[in-house]
Amino acid sequence: MNDAGILGNNAVRAPVFVSRRERFRRWRYRNRHALEGWGILTPILLYYGIFFLFPVFASLALSFTTWSGLSGSPVWVGFKNYQRFLSDPTYRTIITNTILFAVSILLIQTGLAIFVALLLNTKIRGRAIYRAAWYIPTLTSAAVMAQVAFVFISPADGVINMVLRQLSLPPIIFYVQVDWMRVVIIAYSVWRGVGGAVVLYLAALQGIHPELYEAAQVDGANGRQLLRHITFPLIAPMTIFVLITGIIGTAQIFEAVMFLSKGGPANLTNVLMLQIYQDAFANQSLGMASAGAIFLGLMLLVFAMFQMRIFSRGRVMN
Amino acid sequence: MTKRLNVSKLTTRSLLYLLLIVSSFVMAFPLIFMILGSIGTTQDYIRSPWLPIPQNPTIENYLIILDPSKTDVLQWVFNTLIRAAWYIIIPGTVAILAGYVFAKLSFRGRDAAFTFLLMSMMLPGIVFQVPTFVMMARFPLAGGNDLLGQGGTGFINQWPALLIPGLVSVYYIFMLRQTFYSIPADFEEAARVDGAGTMRCLVSVYLPMLKPVITVLIIFQFVGIWNDYLWPLFVTTGNPEVYVMALGFQFLQAAGNSLKGLPNTVTDYPFTFALAACSILPLVIMFLFLQKYFVEGVQGFAIKG
Repeated sequence: MNDAGILGNNAVRAPVFVSRRERFRRWRYRNRHALEGWGILTPILLYYGIFFLFPVFASLALSFTTWSGLSGSPVWVGFKNYQRFLSDPTYRTIITNTILFAVSILLIQTGLAIFVALLLNTKIRGRAIYRAAWYIPTLTSAAVMAQVAFVFISPADGVINMVLRQLSLPPIIFYVQVDWMRVVIIAYSVWRGVGGAVVLYLAALQGIHPELYEAAQVDGANGRQLLRHITFPLIAPMTIFVLITGIIGTAQIFEAVMFLSKGGPANLTNVLMLQIYQDAFANQSLGMASAGAIFLGLMLLVFAMFQMRIFSRGRVMN
Repeated sequence: MTKRLNVSKLTTRSLLYLLLIVSSFVMAFPLIFMILGSIGTTQDYIRSPWLPIPQNPTIENYLIILDPSKTDVLQWVFNTLIRAAWYIIIPGTVAILAGYVFAKLSFRGRDAAFTFLLMSMMLPGIVFQVPTFVMMARFPLAGGNDLLGQGGTGFINQWPALLIPGLVSVYYIFMLRQTFYSIPADFEEAARVDGAGTMRCLVSVYLPMLKPVITVLIIFQFVGIWNDYLWPLFVTTGNPEVYVMALGFQFLQAAGNSLKGLPNTVTDYPFTFALAACSILPLVIMFLFLQKYFVEGVQGFAIKG
C-alpha cells in the first residue's frame, strides 16, 4: 500500500504552474493569523506608544528637570527633585501621610469587609439589600461625596458640631485638631472603599464547599476553629488580592483630602497625589510633579508587579 | 436542653440581624441624609441635625438645578453622557478586537505585544497624566498653537482633551481575552466552513456570546466616566461649557445662594445636597436595576478568571 501510494503520487506528479496571485493567496492563508493579528494590533500599539509609553518616558525625563510647563524649555537638574523628597520636611511629611493613610484605610476596610462578608454569608433574609447598602457608596463620585462630607465637618454649622452642641459637648475645630481631621478622612475613605472588598469576600466565602465545614463539625470543631482552620486559610488568596489591589488604590488618595482638608493644617494631612496636582498646576513646577508621580510609581511598583502576576494567572482562587 | 439551645440560637440570630441592619443603615446614612436634606430647608437641618426631616418637603432645589436657564447642569450631564458613550464604544471595540487576537490567533510576537501592553498596569495613572496634559497643551496646530505646539493653549479647555487619552484599556483587553479563552473554537470553525470571515465571526458568532462581559464593561466604564474627576479637572477647569458633572459640582455649589437670593454669608446646604443627589442618584438607580452585573463585574477577575 505504501509502495503503491508512492508510485501513484509519482505517476500523477506533473509540473504545476502556480500563478503569482495564487501563491500570494496561499501565503496570505498560511499567515492569516499573523496578518489579522498585526492588522488589529498595529493601530492599538501605535496609540499605546504615543499616549502611554511616550508620556511615561516624558515623566521620567521631566522628573530630572525644572520646568514651568508654560514657557521656555526644561532645565536639567539631575536628582535634585528626588533629593527634595527625601530632605525637604514638607515632602517627607507628605510621604509619611500618604503611607499612613493608605495603610490605615486599607487595613480597616479589609478587616471590616471580612467581618461584613461573614455576616452576609450566613442564612439571612434580604442579603441583596444589605449588600446594596454596603456596595452603593463605591459608586458615588469621590469628589462630590467629599464635598457633601465637608458639610458634616464645617466649623460653625457642620452637622457634627451641631450635634455636639445639642449634647453640650465642646465643638471640634477640624482645621486645628489634626487627629480628628485624619479620622474624618480615613472614615470617609473607608466608607467609599469598603464595598468592593465586601462583594469580593462574599464571593470567596460562597466558593467554599459546605462539606468542608460539615466534615470539621463531625470531628467536633467549634465555630472559632472553623473560622481559623477552614475559612481564613481558604480566603487567604482573596486577602492577598484585596490587599495588593487595595494598596494601589488607597495610596492614590486624592479627592478626600482635597475637599475635606486641602492638605492642611500645615501639610499635616497632605498626600502625594494632592501635592503632585499642586506642584503641576498651582506651583507650575512640572519637574517636581513628575518626580512625585515617578516616586509614587516606584513606591507601588512591587505591588503592581504582584497584581500583574495575579492577573496573568487569570484568577485568584479555585 | 433543646429549648435552651433554641433560645441561644434565637438570640444569636436577632443579634446578627441587629448588626446587619444597624451597620447597613450607617453605610446608607450619608445618602439618606443627603436626600432628606435636599428636599428640606436650612431650618429643618438646624432643628434636627441628626437627620434633617423636612417639615414642608419641596423639590424647589431640583427645579432650579435642572432649569437650563438658571444652571448648566443639564449641559454637564449631557457632556458626561457623550464622554461615557465615547469611552464605552472605543475602548470596548478595542478590547473585543484585541481580546480576540490574544486569545484566538497564534503568531510570532503575540505574547511580546501582550506583555508590552501589560506594562501600563504597572504604573499609577498620574505618571502619564502630567505629560499627557503637556501634550494636550502643546498639540500642534490646535487652539492657536503653531506647528511646534507653541503660542496657544492647544486642546486645553476643549473637547479633544477630554476624548483623546485612555482609549486603550488593558484591563478590558484582559477581561475579553479571558472570556474568548472560555469559548470553544468549534463555533468559529463552523462559521468559517460556511464562509464567514474574521469580522463576520466576531459580529455574528462571538458578539452574542460576549453579551454578559460586554454588559459588565459598559456598566463599569459608565460608572468610571460618570465619576471621573481628576482628568477633567486637569484639562477643562477654565471652560464651564465642557464641564462634566463631577467637575461642575464644585463650581455650582457657591452659585446656589445667588440663584435663590440668599446672602453669601450662609451656606445653602439643601442646594448642595440636591446637587449631589443629581450626581449620585442616577448611578444608584442603575445599580438597583443591574445589581447582578455589578456583582459579577467586581468578582469577574477574582473568581472566575
